[in-house]
Amino acid sequence: MPAMLGVIWIFFALVSPQFLSARNLSMLLIELSITATLAVGILLVLIPGHTDLSVGAGAGLLGGIASVLVFRLGWPAPAALLLSLGVGLLLYLGMGAFIVRYRIQAFIVTLGAMLAFRGGFWLVIRSVTTPVVRGGESNLYSLLTTYYLPPFAGLLLAVLVCGVLAIVTVRGRRRRQAAGASVEPGELAFLRTFAGAQGILLVVLVCNQYRGLPLAFLILCAVAVSIHVLTRHTPFGRYLYAIGGNEEAAVVSGIPTRRTVTTAFLILGGIVAVTGFMATAYSGASTTTVGDLMELDAIAACVIGGTSLKGGRGSVLGALFGALIMASLLNGMTLLSVLPETKYIVRGLVLVFAVWMDVSFRRR
Amino acid sequence: MPLLEARQLTKRFPGVVALNGVSFDLHPGEVHALCGENGAGKSTLIKTLSGIHPLGSYEGEIRVDDRPVSFRSLQDAEAAGIAVIYQELALVEEMSVAENIFLGHEPRRGPWVDWDEVRVRAVRLLEQFRIQLDPDIPVRELGVGQKQLVEIVKALAKKSRILILDEPTAALAETEVAILLGILRELRSAGVGCIYISHKLGEVMSLADRITVLRDGASITTVKASEADIPGIIRHMVGREIKDLFPRDRPASVGPVLLSVRNLDAAPDSESSARLTGIGFDVRAGEVLGIGGLMGAGRSETLMHLFGAWGTRLSGEVELGGRRYDLPAPGESIRRGLVMVTDDRKRYGLHLEQPIGYNLSLSSLDQVTRNGLLDEAAETLLDQGFFDALRIKAPGLDAVVGGLSGGNQQKVVIGKALMTDPRVVFLDEPTRGIDVAAKLEVYQLINRLTAEGRAVVLVSSELPELMGMSDRIVMLHEGTVGGTFLPAEYDPERLMAAAMGRTPVAED
Repeated sequence: MPAMLGVIWIFFALVSPQFLSARNLSMLLIELSITATLAVGILLVLIPGHTDLSVGAGAGLLGGIASVLVFRLGWPAPAALLLSLGVGLLLYLGMGAFIVRYRIQAFIVTLGAMLAFRGGFWLVIRSVTTPVVRGGESNLYSLLTTYYLPPFAGLLLAVLVCGVLAIVTVRGRRRRQAAGASVEPGELAFLRTFAGAQGILLVVLVCNQYRGLPLAFLILCAVAVSIHVLTRHTPFGRYLYAIGGNEEAAVVSGIPTRRTVTTAFLILGGIVAVTGFMATAYSGASTTTVGDLMELDAIAACVIGGTSLKGGRGSVLGALFGALIMASLLNGMTLLSVLPETKYIVRGLVLVFAVWMDVSFRRR
Repeated sequence: MPLLEARQLTKRFPGVVALNGVSFDLHPGEVHALCGENGAGKSTLIKTLSGIHPLGSYEGEIRVDDRPVSFRSLQDAEAAGIAVIYQELALVEEMSVAENIFLGHEPRRGPWVDWDEVRVRAVRLLEQFRIQLDPDIPVRELGVGQKQLVEIVKALAKKSRILILDEPTAALAETEVAILLGILRELRSAGVGCIYISHKLGEVMSLADRITVLRDGASITTVKASEADIPGIIRHMVGREIKDLFPRDRPASVGPVLLSVRNLDAAPDSESSARLTGIGFDVRAGEVLGIGGLMGAGRSETLMHLFGAWGTRLSGEVELGGRRYDLPAPGESIRRGLVMVTDDRKRYGLHLEQPIGYNLSLSSLDQVTRNGLLDEAAETLLDQGFFDALRIKAPGLDAVVGGLSGGNQQKVVIGKALMTDPRVVFLDEPTRGIDVAAKLEVYQLINRLTAEGRAVVLVSSELPELMGMSDRIVMLHEGTVGGTFLPAEYDPERLMAAAMGRTPVAED
């Protein structure tokens, strides 16, 4: 997968010199943040073997509710976002509970929800463009994709994060050693941490060449780290994989399967809302097309990243990679003014090709 | 002239020699049994003979009708008349018995399937082997034993001359075993050759003409069944003597009642009629309660229901650890100290694609969670303790469970259950499909559990095991208690009579 990403980046860098410019990379980072946040969210329901087709329409709807509250009713942005977030949590909690209670396939329920959300969205915004802010100022809503962390603050944050990373690595190794468990060689752990720190610094330095770290990217980082910890380091995460891998065995093992899946949908609801806010802010207003096909981009990102639609397999890191591939493709093709028709065809082919490669490598 | 002959087969996997110069032959009208512990090379031999390990991946020669053959796939072997009936059944649940029998080689009229012919021929085959099955009902409605019979008829419909049966009776009740063995004897007179793999040596002795024992990938001996005895076979299999097959240390005294069941009625769901009626028994600390009965008598359902994974309770009083327990659910049962090892370990017991450590701790994550986060160091330590105590044979905790042998998989399931520190342990067919040495380890484990003051409920289809390991036996018959027996009253005929619903007749 990294190889594929490399090929895509080198190709675009060669044919379009702007691709690697700090400005474009910053834009790419914001676009990535929107797709990847949603991908990481949908991962939570893909791992236990469910799916969600409604997230694109849901993102549009929840962004739309916030826009209407701000633009038409004059609410302060934080209150509007909070209310809309609450609506998102409620909707997805209800959907998750319905799916597990009546054992109806998530595909069907969320397909229905997709249509209903789309209709609800247009109803809410009365099918007219509804800006995220009144009269050209800026508010918390519009800042989601227009605020950049000042260069100095970005650097400080990067150093802080690197420090935390190093401390967590060292403490984890000590605990394992104290418990008598095996640890990877110290050199390898150092290299891994060092490479991670380098990556973080590189991103900050590139962004600082333009305006600094985009706020949207920080939101992605926060969501991705949280979900990573949730899936890999909590009982809840173990249960998600157990349900996806073998639900009957999960039940007999005493896992609260219904509660676990419902919780996954609840968290997804929150992430859909946040994604909706970012996507709407990025286009400046709720238009009837915000959120279109975003569910497919998110699912595609997860699948490219090695997630199994049958459940039981998938990781946050994989989903991020997948999202980066999809976002890079779209960004690069837009730079080259590729026709929209061609864009769709290329993205479709790359999706299938990437999964085919993943599957054939796995079989070896 | 042998029907099938293998000469000096050697098959290597990375790091292991699975078969080491094994020679084997099968004559027409012969039942040739293959015995050996799990990992002895039986499965590899079958897979090589049936084309799953294709030509070129092994050394040696396979001959059918004294001509060398080269199988590149299972289909090649089937074309040569070899049919394999696996432990894991390969039937389509939604299709009828007749459709399954002819799946993949349906009789045709022009381009269309001739459904009348399918049915007629299915009926004829079922009658020929005196199997009482409705050819039109979907396979999903059949029990495991009946499915096994369908599987065999399916092989016979392909005009197979060589049948390979891998543990065909592992999931069968005694009556079904009798039907199956009857069919195999009939096939013998029809000139079909059978390779028969089973851990049930009594069955092997009564059915087989010759017995070949494999150990560590090598053929140890081939003997005529009429000249062999079970202790001798076991000695060859394990390379040492096993004196006592059922080493139960019966307790001098037992503790308080840990689980009490009275007048239990339960149904699959609230709309169905009761499948279990009037079930009642007590289980005391330090004892093994055995539950026997024929397939479909409700043994697994009883355990699954009490554990909270099957059906709806219609009435009855259940007390666990002295407290009423009316609405069982697996999570709650485990918290209250009741745990279950199910009979179908691949379906209910394991996450096959995950490592051993993941499986072991799955029911006990609370023990290793600090502030909401898993303490992976503590988890590894806990896993390692059970891994060592159960003597699981694997490279380490990171080994994927799907790659382990049946006995080691079973140890993982048992380890997962025991890690929850239960007071009452349900074991449903804990020794099914595992080898003699692993069985012995399970029996020793049962002794250790009761010595620690835990209670064990053991469900088994094998009467010798049930009699050997239980301190009391409840025989179930059609969802109700057919009789309860103390060790002094153990007698296979009386137990079977209770299982068949007949009142035991006094002997004098």
